[in-house]
Formats: sequence, C-alpha cells, structure tokens
Amino acid sequence: MRPGTLGRLALAGTRTDAVRVVLTALSAALAALAGLAALTVLAIPTPPATDDNEVRWSLQYATALLREPGLRGGTAFALLLLALPVLALAGQCARLGAPARDRRLAALRLAGATPGQVTRLAALETGVASLLGTVGGLVVFLVAHELLDRPGADGRLALPTDVLPSPVALAATVLGLPAVAAVATALLLRRVVTTPFGVVRRARRDRPPRPWFALLVPAGVGSFAGYFPLLHWLERHEVQALLPYLPILVAVGGLAALVGTVLAAGWFSYAAGRLLHRLAQGPAALLAARRLAADPWAGSRTFAALLAAVLFGGGAAAFRAHFQARYAAELAEARTFGDVTSAGDTFYLDTIGLVDLAVAAAVTIAAGGLLVALVEGIVARRRAYAALVAQGVPRGVLGRSVAWQALAPAVPAVLLALTVGLLLGRFLSGPVRTGGSGYVCEAAAAICADPAARGPYLRLVEAPERYVMPGVPLEQLALVGAGAVAAVALTVAVGLLFLQASTTVEELRAT
Amino acid sequence: MTELQARGVVKAYGPTPALRGITLDVAEGEIVAVTGPSGCGKSTLLHCLAGILRPDAGQVFWRGERIDTWSEAARSKLRRTEFGVLFQFGQLVPELTVAENVALPLLLAGTGRRAGRTVATAWLARLGVADLADARPGELSGGQQQRCALARTLVTEPRVIFADEPTGALDTLAGEQVLTQLVRLAREQRTSVVLVTHEPRIAGYADREVVLRDGAVDGAGLGLDLPAAAGSGLGLRATGAPAGEALANAAPAGGAPAGERPAGGAR
Repeated sequence: MRPGTLGRLALAGTRTDAVRVVLTALSAALAALAGLAALTVLAIPTPPATDDNEVRWSLQYATALLREPGLRGGTAFALLLLALPVLALAGQCARLGAPARDRRLAALRLAGATPGQVTRLAALETGVASLLGTVGGLVVFLVAHELLDRPGADGRLALPTDVLPSPVALAATVLGLPAVAAVATALLLRRVVTTPFGVVRRARRDRPPRPWFALLVPAGVGSFAGYFPLLHWLERHEVQALLPYLPILVAVGGLAALVGTVLAAGWFSYAAGRLLHRLAQGPAALLAARRLAADPWAGSRTFAALLAAVLFGGGAAAFRAHFQARYAAELAEARTFGDVTSAGDTFYLDTIGLVDLAVAAAVTIAAGGLLVALVEGIVARRRAYAALVAQGVPRGVLGRSVAWQALAPAVPAVLLALTVGLLLGRFLSGPVRTGGSGYVCEAAAAICADPAARGPYLRLVEAPERYVMPGVPLEQLALVGAGAVAAVALTVAVGLLFLQASTTVEELRAT
Repeated sequence: MTELQARGVVKAYGPTPALRGITLDVAEGEIVAVTGPSGCGKSTLLHCLAGILRPDAGQVFWRGERIDTWSEAARSKLRRTEFGVLFQFGQLVPELTVAENVALPLLLAGTGRRAGRTVATAWLARLGVADLADARPGELSGGQQQRCALARTLVTEPRVIFADEPTGALDTLAGEQVLTQLVRLAREQRTSVVLVTHEPRIAGYADREVVLRDGAVDGAGLGLDLPAAAGSGLGLRATGAPAGEALANAAPAGGAPAGERPAGGAR
C-alpha cells in the first residue's frame, strides 16, 4: 500500500473517528506542553559562583523553585508527573468509537488489506493525530513563551521565559511523543485480530482481576514508615555507607504504593461490582453491579490516573499539615526569643499551594479521561440501551445505573488513595521539632539593634525540645476527596446527556 | 373488544415519509402480521403503535384511551406493564444472567430480587430453557437467546406483544420454535400480537395480515390469503402465487379494511 493511500485511509472515518482524532491530538498537545515546560525548567543555566552569589542561584526569577538549582529538578519532575493523567486521557481516547473503527478496519480486510496493514493504519491514525497535537502544543508553547516574557515590578521573571530547551530536546518531544503513541497502539493491537467478517476477537480477560497488586500498597507504605527509624538507627550505629541508599528506598516505596493503588483500580471496580450485586435490590444497581464485575477494566486507565492524582493530593495535604505546624512552631520560637516582627518563612507553604494546583489540574484532566471512557461505554452499548428504553425501562434507571457504575468503585478507591497518600506524606515529612535554645535581648530596642552594644543584655533561653506529629488534615483531605468524587459525578452528569441521545429509537436500527 | 387502534397515523423522518395515514384495529387476542418490503414502514408502524414513537399526525388508542398524546414516562410505563416488546436481537443485557434479564421488568415494577427470580425461572421453564437461568446471553445460541427474550417479554403478562422481526436473526428451525411458543402462549393468555415480518412464512402464523407498501396499507395485497386455521394460528402457507390471482381469490375478512387479509391458511 502506498504511503499516501495508507495516510488517507488512516484519517478516513465517521464523526466519532474525527472526535477521537481531535481528542488524541488535544491530549498529545497537553502532554507536549507539560514536557516542554519541564525541559525549559531543566534548560535554566546555573550561573558561576560569585562573591554576591556563592550559592549560584538564578536570581532573575521570582520563585525559588526556578531560582535554586537544587529545586529545579523537583519542579521539572512535578511537571512531568502532570503528563501522566494526560497520557491516560490519550489512552482512553484511543478506545473512543472503537466498535465503529473495528468495523471499518474489518471492511478494509474484506477489501484485501492484510492484518499488518490494518494494524499500521490504526497506528498511523494515532501517530498522525498525536503529531498534529504535539506541533500544536509547540506552537502554543512558543507563543506563550513570547507573551509571558514580562518581568514583574521587581524586575524578576515569574516563568523561565528567557530560556528555551535545546532544538534536539524540542524535536525529541514533538516527534518522540507521536512515535511512542503509534508504537503503543501497534502493541495494543497485537492481541486484536481483525477478520474480514467484521469480527474483532480479543484475547479476553476471562479471569476476574486479582488483588495482588494491592499488596504493593502496604509494602510501599511500610518502606516510608521505616525511613526515619532506619535513618536514626544507621546514624546511631554510624553505618555511613548505607545512608546514601535511603532515598532510593523511599523512591521505590513511593513508586510501589502508587503503582499498587493505580493497578488495583481494576480490582476495585470488580470488588465494588460484586459487593453492589450482593446488596443491590433495584434494577439500576443490579445493572451497574453486573457491568462492573463483567468489565472492571473499562475506564480503569483514567480511573487509575485519577487515583494517582488523589494520592498526590493526600500526600500534599500531609506535607501542608507538616509545614503549617512547622511554621507555627517557628513563629512561636521567634516570639519566645523576642522577635515579634518575624513573619516566618512561607516558602514551603507556597510550594505546597503549587502542588495543590497541580493536583487539581491532574484531577481535571483525569476527569476528562473518565468522561471519554463513560461516553465510549454508553455509545458502544447504545443499541442495548435503546432496546431497554423501547421495552419500557425508564431512562432514569439507566442513568442511575451509569452513576452507580462510576461512583461505586470511585468512592472507596478515592478513600484508599487519600489514606495511602496521607500515610506516605506523614512518614516522609516526619514530626515537627518544637522548642530549642536561643538568646533574648533584655534591653531597649535601640541597644538590641546594635550588635556591638547588646552583648551584655543577651540571656540564654532554653525551651524543652519536643517532636510533635502534626494533626491529620481532615479538612484538606476532605477537599481533595470531595473534589475527586465531584469530578466523577460531573463526568456522570455530562455522560448522561449522551445517554439521552443514545437511547433514541433510531439506535434500534443501528448495526 | 378492540385492544389497539390506529387512526390515520402519519410519520416522517425529515423529508422522507414513513407512514402515510395508517388505520388499523387489533382485537383482543388477535395476532396481526404486518408485512411488506424493506423500508415500507413496518417497524415505524410498530413503534408508533407501541408508543415508542409519537406519530406526526393521527391517533393511537389502547382500550379506547388515546396514548399518543401521553408523556414519554407514561408511555414508558405502559410498555413496561401492559405491552411487551420483542426485537430481532440485542435486547438481552449481556452482563446480566438470563434469569436476571427475565426478571428485570419485575424489578422495575418493584418486585424483590428473590421473588423476581422465582417468577422468571417459572417462565423460563414454560419456554423450555430453565436450565439456562444462570447463563449469560453471550453463552447462548441465537434461538436460545430469543426464547429467553420472549420469556422477558411475557413475564409481566402483557396485553399486547409487539414483535419486530423476532425470527430475523434465526435459522428456520429456531425461528419456528420461537414463533410456535409465542403464538401458543399468546393464545393461552388471550394476548394480542402485532408481528412485523417480511417473511410470508412467518406471517402465516398470524390471524390476519396487513401489507404495507411505501408507508400505506397496500390495497392490492401481495398474495393469496385463506382463512386462518381457527384458533391455532399455526397454519402452513405456500408462496409464489401471482398477485393478481391472490387478489381475485382473496376472501375479505369481516370488518378488515382494504389491504388487510385473514391469514394462516395455505396459498
């Protein structure tokens, strides 16, 4: 098949195919933007050390996250993490309108296309759509880069608009993402056989999902719980050689807890379906329960992204509680030592505010993916739904069934993700130290302000040193959890609009 | 007693007319076959009679009450309680077991799951598929699926059954079994049946045949109809008689409008 023909056939299709292409392109654009932002942060050059700037800070930036070389890696990592829900959204978009696409591919097989050509067509569609998206993302990035390059009143930049990633890095992002997307599609299709008779056989997952992945969660939390005791033990016994490996333990543990929570999403759906079936009396809950148990993986990719975002939100809540307690302790300490004007250092609290913002963005993107999954499920089953409505099943029952289907696994899974995130955050941030010793100046303010004169008036004050574990940030956790559940509920509400359209009598004639 | 009446029913899809003023009566316990070529408006007529579609003009009455002006919710309840609808395929929910599928209308009416299952299993037994109660629709043959769908249609003991090409996806033998059971159970319960089909052999199960052409009742008729095999509705019918001969030999049924013939005999 000529490349031109292959390209034309790859981009042919119905309106649903067009929507899929647009959503795939949009996801690719968002992922490209996140990647380009991360690369830009990494491209900030570290200035040479000078007398005025021994710590080699990039002083042209307003925020410490960009100014301090040690924080830039974390900032870039956080931006890359934002790409995760975007990639999940892209994965979900690939399934949109899949039955119609499968029929189109089968028709091509009937016309003489080989299985390999059909796979290449599907991969090319994803690749071309992703390329359109990444090029669009690059254009948006460059335009924003120019428009936002305005120093503030203090002459500092809010964003790194004075640097650009290297051309190689730009090209790798714009071309690499579509290539990865196309290869991923081809790999996903390797278990799909498109026959000329319009039948797409998938290697079905006959066994119900197992909860083994969930075991990674306690393993990960355990590694975090053991961090401080192990650190103290190693320090007490002066085992210096092992100290550098402790961060690896934390990283692996965190990853295990995250992967465990995310991969257990399918099992969550299945277990929620089984439980709901046992308890359900009404037809809506029964329909939802059976659907969840029969196809627990439907939408679990984006559901997993939502859980990952919630887990980060739980962790951020724990860190916020820690920083708030620390801030309060620092202020109290300052007051103890006579410094009534100290406003404390709010840097970490501000940073956590940024993490919260990123979590909100991730939840929003994941909710978009959930919506795609929900609509895809409704559209794929529109004939069955239309038949039920024709037989007198009220649309409200079907709507409630869709709502049950989305919320029954979401609520317990969100609670688990919040708990895991909170535990990880608490174990990692540790307790807050209060008390300590310092000098109090017992003289007039003018004398105390003079370093040469205040010496005789200084008195050593010692407050007992204590380690206090911050309280559980219930309010913050409730906000994250309710936000995630509300996002799911909102996707259900929007999805129900499609249910209305998919249960018209015309669907009874659809093949 | 007249169970169902259509008076001058008109329906169009955009600029394309589907029904051009259909008038039709269905008596209690009567089995009426609506036949005609593809695209003649058979399914649209069935959907209008069942309250699935609202006609653009004309009226539909059920037991003397005009139902085409009812709200969607009221018509939906009517279909759930007094009507039964049977399609060609795709009507069983694939994730539910057969018993749950059959019990679904009962659950919608407020029956508990256990009681619903008991009634559903009894209906499955009447149709000879009780052993499939715990199977999923995907595990059944087309004929078995359709018998289970028939059980679901009958479980609420409807007064009228609307069957849209109920054997269209089945082989001859399976189709015969489903039709035989549908007609037998309808006769037992004095349930009226509106049966849409394009197969003359299937129409032969009906008491009367209404032939549609281009959205109107075909006054010329399509074939020779002989009086129905009294009470059974299971008569045989041969095909191939010339249309003109059919018209000449047709015995007008009492009160049936032009284009409607008593069916069920041999031709």
